Amino acid sequence: MITLGKTERRARMLRTKPWTPYLYLAPVSLLMLFVFGYPLIAIFDFSTRRIRGASGPFIGLENYRQIFKDEVFQQAILHNAQLLLAVPILVIVGIVLAVLLYERVAGWRIYRTILFAPFIIAIPVIGIVFSNMLSLNGAVNELLRAVGLDFLALDWLGSAQMALWSVMAIIIWHEMGFGVVLFLARLLSLNEEIQEAARIDGAGWWQRLWYVTIPQLKDVTEFYAVVSVITMLAWVFPFVYVMTRGGPGNATQVMELYIFNFAFRNSLPGIASAVAVILFLITLALMIPLFQLRARTEMEGIE
Amino acid sequence: MSGEVLRISRRDFIKLAASSAIAAGIYPFMRGAPNTAWAAGENLRMWWWGEQEAPGLEKWVKDSVAMFEKETGVTIEVTLQDTTTVISEFQTASAAGNAPDIQFLWNGIYHMESVWLGYLEPLNGLISDELLKEADATVLSIYQGKQYRLGWYAASPMWLYNKEMFDKAGLNADEPPTTWEGLLDACDKLKSKGFTPIVGGLKDGPWGEWYMGHALGPNLDTPAEALQLFIGELDWREPKYHEHWTKLEQLWKAGYMNEDMNSIDLYPGMDYFGAGKGAMTAIVIPTLGKQASMLGAEKVGLMVFPAGGKGKMNNKPIRDLQGLGISSQSQYKEIAAKFLEFLHTPERVQAIWTDSKALPTDASWDGTAIEDPLFREAWKTWVVNPDAVPYISNLMPVMFWTDAMFVNSQKIIAGEYNGEQAGENAQAVATKWREQNPDLLEHYQIWAEDLKL
Repeated sequence: MITLGKTERRARMLRTKPWTPYLYLAPVSLLMLFVFGYPLIAIFDFSTRRIRGASGPFIGLENYRQIFKDEVFQQAILHNAQLLLAVPILVIVGIVLAVLLYERVAGWRIYRTILFAPFIIAIPVIGIVFSNMLSLNGAVNELLRAVGLDFLALDWLGSAQMALWSVMAIIIWHEMGFGVVLFLARLLSLNEEIQEAARIDGAGWWQRLWYVTIPQLKDVTEFYAVVSVITMLAWVFPFVYVMTRGGPGNATQVMELYIFNFAFRNSLPGIASAVAVILFLITLALMIPLFQLRARTEMEGIE
Repeated sequence: MSGEVLRISRRDFIKLAASSAIAAGIYPFMRGAPNTAWAAGENLRMWWWGEQEAPGLEKWVKDSVAMFEKETGVTIEVTLQDTTTVISEFQTASAAGNAPDIQFLWNGIYHMESVWLGYLEPLNGLISDELLKEADATVLSIYQGKQYRLGWYAASPMWLYNKEMFDKAGLNADEPPTTWEGLLDACDKLKSKGFTPIVGGLKDGPWGEWYMGHALGPNLDTPAEALQLFIGELDWREPKYHEHWTKLEQLWKAGYMNEDMNSIDLYPGMDYFGAGKGAMTAIVIPTLGKQASMLGAEKVGLMVFPAGGKGKMNNKPIRDLQGLGISSQSQYKEIAAKFLEFLHTPERVQAIWTDSKALPTDASWDGTAIEDPLFREAWKTWVVNPDAVPYISNLMPVMFWTDAMFVNSQKIIAGEYNGEQAGENAQAVATKWREQNPDLLEHYQIWAEDLKL
């Protein structure tokens, strides 16, 4: 008769039980639940209360009712939606620039650095510099006037018609570098034989780009598009705050700034939380189809 | 002694214990440094703001704390706050039961909300009535007969004009305009000489708040009227209450303001004046020194904005000041009060002026240290003048600043609003605030009654 030692018995018992892996995962799962789950639950809870300081009475959906009838909030949502127009620009221009660098044009390493540099500059610095450059009498307009293009010397950040598009242009300038480096890294990892085969088969530059290169960038493109959508919805606050504070009027008001104003200026964290919930749900609603699309693509690839 | 057993009789032990107790009791007084039994070893926290507008105050605060610590043995941990979060940080900390003992407080609603939420302690009883009156924090710091703030230094809003430009434009450089027609006439003459009559920056917003504070007040009889507008007893859509925005539109459309008004922030806009690029601008007293040193003090004239109002507050200088208060959660309210009293000792009050050129608000400070005639005039007219009126923008909560005062001015300059539309927006914002803050509205109504008295 074989007798097992205490340690060995315990080890065998753990190996054989179906819940053993979950036991190992439990500590980190609980930690994750606390770190991510608790704030999310707290925000949902806050959004149904009139918070004064740390708590407040339950008021149901009143905060949501207040938000939806607020014109400023409607403008904020519209502006976030308008900023989404930057996503296709980021993707298309990012791919084109990455392909040009991949073609190893003369000095491509320097161009790569120049393109990536804006991404690593702190946003407040960018905001301050561009605020000065784009003011009515700033460097950009001075340059335009100097070359006789006075009609183009506009009030880039001070005009309600121009401000949002100016902010969007600066966001694109800042974010583009990340996309280019991402696409370039993927291109450099591709099998060059496929490109070579296409070239031997007589495919031109555009044909190779369209039929060979871009299809191979699909996964990176999807990832970058998702990141860019999130950026435009939930990561534009520092640009707006430093450059325009949401103005002139509410011309550059966005949801994050709206949340900030209610949380820190108007001392109404309940309303800020309700907007945060809405922002979370909108982002989720946009992300789920994108992830489903990706999953379907992966399945098709396997089949 | 080695090897000997220390023998102490019961009587000796009692004597020794009694001596130790007496020694322990009188030790703090024998040390000389801590002269208050309650003080030694206590640790207070003070959150403050002010270096941003009056450079030099940080030195003053640090010196004051060091002196108080040396004198009492109390330690005070000071934190300079960011402009954006002065109010929210205090309210959040209070809600979490972790408020600082001493808190910087802006005037009016910017600390009154904290009063209503129970986060601030009335100073009556903690600080002598004499000092409460002497370091008066204006009527906007009083709620239901209790004072919640002690005055610190002046932050009165005022206007400057360039005497040299006035002179060149054929205007009397010693008598700035006092009526709306006079202002328009001056602007016209200045413009015809190639000067920009009024300069400022609106991109970040606060110029809009300053403008309303200067231009709406003159149409009102009392500060309570501004509160009545806000709580819905009066209507912003009445021409009297949005006329100031119509006048802003008039100034803008006539080309009397810098064309990049919406394109630059408050301080760069103000600095146009110091740089000699504009004839008139709005400032607050702590920034007077900078503008005077930029332009040359001899060229700077002080004026009340000639809004041409029809109320009792017309043509009155505005008096506003920064202050400090004590948290209702402080475990050391008496010590905090002693520290505030220490800040108002004659030597410390004088040092405010010496260290930062901010003007102390204590009535006991006679201002003899002010040698510069410009500062002397500012102090006489905007700090100790009994005819000065409260700053009515301080009666409106932040939402009204951002969504009405800032937005209205920016939209008027951008050509999107006229005065009437600005009034409609103000009415809508005030209504929105009331709907979102029903729990504070009742306090507002009580406050309005207080201010009518």
